[in-house]
Amino acid sequence: MLRKTFLAACLAGLLAVTACSDGGGDSGGGSTLTYLTFETPHLTSTFWDNSIKAAQAEAPGVQINRITAPSTDRDAYAKQLQSSGQFPDLLQSITPSNFVGAGLLKPYDKAWVDANFLLPQGNALKGEVYIPPTNSQVVPEVFYNKELFTKAGIGAPPKNWAEFLDVCAKLKAAGITPFTLGGGDPFAASMPLVGIFSADVLGKNPNWLKDRYADKVKFSDANVVTAVEKYRTLVSNGYFDKGALGVKYADSITQFTGGKAAMYPMGSWFLGSVPKENADNFGAFPWPTDDGSVVIPFVVGGSMAISAKTKDPDGATKFAQAWSLNPANLKALIEGDGAFPMLKGKTLADYNVTVTKVFEDSYAYVTEDNTKVNAIGWATNDDALPPGLNDQFYAASQALFTSADVKGEMEKLDQAWKTATN
Amino acid sequence: MFSRKSRADGGLALLAALALGLYLIFLVLPLLLSLRSSFTNENPLRATNEFIGLRNYREMASDVQLRDSLVFTLTLAVGVTLAANALGVAFAILLNRTHLSYRVMRTLAFLPQVLSGVIVGFVWQTILTQDGLLNNVLTSVGLLDEPYPWLGSPRAALVSIGVVLTWVLSGFTTVVYLAALQSVPIELNDMATMDGVRGTQRFRKVTWPMIAPGTTISVTISLITVLKLYDIIAVLTGGGPANSTQSTALYIVRLAFTSDRLGYASAVAMLLLALSAVVALAVTGALRRREVTL
Repeated sequence: MLRKTFLAACLAGLLAVTACSDGGGDSGGGSTLTYLTFETPHLTSTFWDNSIKAAQAEAPGVQINRITAPSTDRDAYAKQLQSSGQFPDLLQSITPSNFVGAGLLKPYDKAWVDANFLLPQGNALKGEVYIPPTNSQVVPEVFYNKELFTKAGIGAPPKNWAEFLDVCAKLKAAGITPFTLGGGDPFAASMPLVGIFSADVLGKNPNWLKDRYADKVKFSDANVVTAVEKYRTLVSNGYFDKGALGVKYADSITQFTGGKAAMYPMGSWFLGSVPKENADNFGAFPWPTDDGSVVIPFVVGGSMAISAKTKDPDGATKFAQAWSLNPANLKALIEGDGAFPMLKGKTLADYNVTVTKVFEDSYAYVTEDNTKVNAIGWATNDDALPPGLNDQFYAASQALFTSADVKGEMEKLDQAWKTATN
Repeated sequence: MFSRKSRADGGLALLAALALGLYLIFLVLPLLLSLRSSFTNENPLRATNEFIGLRNYREMASDVQLRDSLVFTLTLAVGVTLAANALGVAFAILLNRTHLSYRVMRTLAFLPQVLSGVIVGFVWQTILTQDGLLNNVLTSVGLLDEPYPWLGSPRAALVSIGVVLTWVLSGFTTVVYLAALQSVPIELNDMATMDGVRGTQRFRKVTWPMIAPGTTISVTISLITVLKLYDIIAVLTGGGPANSTQSTALYIVRLAFTSDRLGYASAVAMLLLALSAVVALAVTGALRRREVTL
């Protein structure tokens, strides 16, 4: 551990030195800022380079040294950089709540946020915005294969829990696996539990997480246990593939799009993976509640946070604001990651995007008037979980796939919460 | 001015000083810093921390995740060490020839040891996942009706990781036992043959005692390698399902950089260090005594 930590610090240092030498010096008397990014199949190196170039045009004199996180876990990498004294000036899509307590982030100007975004307080922490709320996601939606539904004699997607169970039973009876689950990746394994928790617990008490911080409620409370029992019902009825915990997230996508299962609970970023050639075969519905009310587990994400210690706060802010308001950057996020844009005064057409029908239907859940709750484990605002709790939530999701001890798993979460918040 | 010998001595002293400096900077200093951190509530995001005495060490006694990770790590260490050493002896006996093809096979046998743990993890992931190569082969030849969750259940994941680690370590153990076998005097084997001692009896009475020093090295290093294992598990299972394959080293990294508990992570690291030292000393001591007895 010790050597690993020290080595990590040395490597991070080496990386920074390399980045500095690669990026060149200041030009025109401007500053050189480090910018932590990450890469995915859709957010490629070229995307970042182009988006940086475009933002630099709006923030003259700002030079950028881009650092790429070794995995999509930006938070852990940012913490490693911080512990080795190399906290970046700009940090893309991190979880601000992990860093704000240590005074590491600088809030954005409220007037600018209010003027430019549909939900200015969507990811705010105690009223301050540390990441411009440029886009949002629904986590999860239930995506479904229309052809398989028809084959099982199902005419329309379910509207409440009873109908949902009926749909599962019909699919199973027709020899169709009801759900695909990428249980080999902990975050993907948690999707059904996030859906159930959001619909049944947060839908009835949207302040549940604030109450949990205030110790007024617990995971082991009867109403939570009852809700989570629903997940066990789905598992014990055999609605998931028995080996689902061995399926990686990427494989779960190909399983679902390849027609190996009828439903796929996943974040709306899956919209970027819907096959274009038969996109009309896929639909989406919100995780069903008992009474049929629509509850949308919602996450307002965003672009980049600014370090409170940056040597050029003005340059960093100009760059970050320019990047955040550039529709071209949102275009890549919309088409590739199924992000729902949240810039004020713009329609989908303004981003020059080509989207599928299922994207439009999903986006309607964002724009329509319905009950929106902060998706547990995904929210980056005041409802973000304490550090380390996400991992425990994911682990509970995996454990409940094989263990019927719902109460015991919820008690473990309460214990982990206590440790994380002490 | 200076004799050749004194110049050589000076050069050696310089090299020794350099090595000592690197050892102090990259091993002793971080160790001391971590020891200090283990008595604090250090958080990677906070500029200051407080001295909290033995609180971190007391907390370990009731930490269920730590207990589970230690049980997993020790089970894996014992199982993999036994399997890798048994395989190493077997491969070494098979490859203890001078023909070119055997030398090529020796290189192949050592190959897993030179691969990065991350690469090993990714390669085996493509083999062991639900849609992976192994399930495809077994179902296509009719040995399985449906894919088996090699990484999808706690027990199967433990066995799968054990197999992967055995494969990796067998390269190292093979080379160690080969070197040990080649140090066995030919005359001894010839005498044994003349005395009519052959096959397994010759292995038991002559070869096995003579390769005892190799066993000491191989077993000790195998144990230490598994006790500090991080990379392969991080890639292959990420510690799942449900933390069932979370090694202690992986738990330490998560405590430090996910839960922001660098002080507690340092305390657990100290425990792991102490455990590794005790195990290594105990095993080395026992095997050395065995060398003398044999």
